[in-house]
Amino acid sequence: MKVVSRRSFVVTALVVAVFAASPVAAQAPKGKLVLYTSQPERDAAQTVAAFKRVQPAVDVEVFRSGTTEVMGKLAAEFAAGQPKPDVLLLADAATMEALKKDGRLLTYREAKVDGLDPGSYDADRTYFGSKLITTGIAVNTAAKTRPAAWADLAKPEYKGQIAMPSPLYSGAAAIMLGTMTARPDLGWGFFEKLKAADAVAVRGNGAVMTAVANGEKSYGVLVDFMAFNAKAKGSPIDFIFPAEGLPAVTEPVAILKTTQNAAAARAFVDFILSDEGQKLAVSMGYIPARASVGMPSWYPAGAKINLMPTDIPKVVQANSENLKRFAELFGN
Amino acid sequence: MAEAAGVRGRAEDYALLWSLVLVVAVLSVLPLARLLLEGIAPGGALSAQALTRVLSSPATWIATRHSLVTALGGTLLAVLIGGTVGLVVALTDIRGRNAYVFCFVMPLLLAAQVVALAWLQLFGPSSPLLAMLGIAPPLGSRNPLYSAEGIILVLGVQYAPLVFLTLRAGLRALPQELIEAGLAGGGGPMKVLRAIVLPLMTPPLLAGVALCFVSCLGNFGIPALLGIPGNYLVLPTLIYQRLAGLGPGALSEVAVLSLLIGFIAVIGIVAQDALLSRRDFRISTASIVARPFELRRWRLPVEVALWTLSVVVLVLPLLALVLTSLVPAVGVPLNLATATLDNYRFVLFDHAAAKRAFVNSFGLSGMAAVAIVLLAVPLAYFLVWRRSRLLRMVNLVTEVPYALPGVVLAIAAILLFLKPLPVVGWSLYNTVWIILFCYLARFLVLGLRPVISGYYQLDRTLEEASQIAGARLLRRLRTIILPLVAPAAAAGALLIFLTAFNELTVSALLWSSGAETLGVVFFSFQQGGDSNFAAALGVLTVIVSIALMLSTLPMAGRLPQGVLPWRD
Repeated sequence: MKVVSRRSFVVTALVVAVFAASPVAAQAPKGKLVLYTSQPERDAAQTVAAFKRVQPAVDVEVFRSGTTEVMGKLAAEFAAGQPKPDVLLLADAATMEALKKDGRLLTYREAKVDGLDPGSYDADRTYFGSKLITTGIAVNTAAKTRPAAWADLAKPEYKGQIAMPSPLYSGAAAIMLGTMTARPDLGWGFFEKLKAADAVAVRGNGAVMTAVANGEKSYGVLVDFMAFNAKAKGSPIDFIFPAEGLPAVTEPVAILKTTQNAAAARAFVDFILSDEGQKLAVSMGYIPARASVGMPSWYPAGAKINLMPTDIPKVVQANSENLKRFAELFGN
Repeated sequence: MAEAAGVRGRAEDYALLWSLVLVVAVLSVLPLARLLLEGIAPGGALSAQALTRVLSSPATWIATRHSLVTALGGTLLAVLIGGTVGLVVALTDIRGRNAYVFCFVMPLLLAAQVVALAWLQLFGPSSPLLAMLGIAPPLGSRNPLYSAEGIILVLGVQYAPLVFLTLRAGLRALPQELIEAGLAGGGGPMKVLRAIVLPLMTPPLLAGVALCFVSCLGNFGIPALLGIPGNYLVLPTLIYQRLAGLGPGALSEVAVLSLLIGFIAVIGIVAQDALLSRRDFRISTASIVARPFELRRWRLPVEVALWTLSVVVLVLPLLALVLTSLVPAVGVPLNLATATLDNYRFVLFDHAAAKRAFVNSFGLSGMAAVAIVLLAVPLAYFLVWRRSRLLRMVNLVTEVPYALPGVVLAIAAILLFLKPLPVVGWSLYNTVWIILFCYLARFLVLGLRPVISGYYQLDRTLEEASQIAGARLLRRLRTIILPLVAPAAAAGALLIFLTAFNELTVSALLWSSGAETLGVVFFSFQQGGDSNFAAALGVLTVIVSIALMLSTLPMAGRLPQGVLPWRD
């Protein structure tokens, strides 16, 4: 089992700091940049606004939806021969890996990856993890009992009280499904038990958060930052780190080969990986890819989050079969 | 000299007439013809593959059944509410009729998706309103509106005004003699209602039922907000999900689905026609309007009942929506300490797409309103004063894009504009212009009807005098006719603006980044779990709509009766 701690991110923070401070290239990028992202509305808006402060001459247009839906739109645009986006900021590496395999991603050899965990970005430098997003269990604070492990959710006292994001919409959920079903301790049996316990699959993590915070469901399978951000704003919601570990995604950023504005696209990647971009992610409640910039306030002090390892190539391979089986099981 | 000028004038008339016919053909006929072609020959090759694949999929028939259940249920409820209120308001001597009609008709002119969210906020464990009253349901209670019954309830409330409006228009033509004869013959008011009024009101009632059924069937916003979370899909939401998930690759399939929903709508309209043609409902004279029944001691209870209804179906949901828009985060109890305007600040100033959507929605609705009126004034001239078989056809086809569900037109427009236009090479797909095209096609009839009724009020002698004096048609239209029909045209323009401004059905399928409408941004907030932002945006659109409706009241007196639906 792979364990990520604060320390494992910290490698060459100093080198990075020097890099970030070095003078920018003579010609500042300008023009239109189209971003397709699965970030929540508010986070996407903040990311773009912060990027604009660094690159005021670039106009960013954003299309936002769940990763699976963004990919649907993109696939259609590829088919029509007119992909609109220049950069992608999507939930998971499996999606990026599939795009890379189809030869859609631009290699960015000079991307500033020093100080990043080598596992967080593609060795061929086509996509770069921007943060770490884990999936755990959200609980409405008024709920009577609290699960300690994923397996607990199958118990009778949770019947009819669980919401989870549909992998047919969310990339993080697709990775969760691929990771959990590949494990002997959970497997498809776990999802069949959830179905038997009347768990519902809603569209995305946002819908799970709303259902749990609203009290329509007492428990939800949810990404960490959404639970903690809602909690920070006063929503009656808590986040539990299940004993078996938490599946995680890295929300990679990537440039499409067909980009009309490579300079601006590279500047966007630079910004996401820069100290400033990483600090922004922390301020929005995410665990950053660059551990040297600090951790979000909710991060358990001194502790480590027990991550479930994901075999990306295997998930990519099994993905469409998984989605089909999930759709049959949960009916959407 | 005069002869030559006359010939030139006639040539000009014909040029104008035929260009109008061409525009109507492009807007109303071309998209649907393209859609029909796709049904027979998907992708250009004659094949029944897409057809059989869609028609053999269980999802198609589940969604069809859901569509029929919700549309019929919604229609039934709308007829009960709208019919009762219509009879009471039109036939009795209740007070404050104008104010009441304004409130009762309002839901119809608000965005369906906003109304659906407002109702959602009224129920559920974290309803700010129920929480304030201390009667919020316990943790884990499902919001009861996420169900077929919920969809039927909100559809019924939303479209009850349609039945009310058609019925009221019919009651205005009801001659007083018939009622007086019935009363003199010894029948009580209830007997007269049953034996005389209701039978005579069958045509407007049936027209209202058909209109209501087609509107419920085509509605996207309500089943999208209330049905998608519980995976209760109707045909428009199924089409949306297929297209959103698979993109234009699924076009042949969704084309078949939209033909299916169009087919069901046509059955509804044809059934209404068939029912009406079997009997003769003609009313002999359009005489003095009937004197209202005196309610006497029942007047106050009836008034209280009517206003209670309005409070329940309009005021309470809107109040819940306003309260939700003030909540800082989902599930936070609302009180003076937690209430915030942050959600408004975010949608007005921080969120780029929402800011763009304000510009897009105002611009698209404004352009559609102006363009349609400029088209409707000359078109109505020919339709009213120069009858011919061709013009009767034109009149009929303008109705089609509005009568059919919005998704049908949207899919047709995608098929038409997916590839760049031939010759000029412009690409409309993925721009705001494809949305504008659909607004023009769909709402043309909303502008045309008021302008036509404006023409009927005109005395033609002025126009004829200027014709004799040698003014050509275009000049007469500009200097004589336009000023005279201006109030009706303005009312039509406003109706178009309001409808387009609150629209989601068409733009949900046609939007692209940079070309978002307010409906689309609202829907995307709601889907992403940001219902507080959605509520704030919804409240802002409601304020704009109500302000526009109120702004018409000063000119209401100069308008033909029935042009402004919210005026008695």
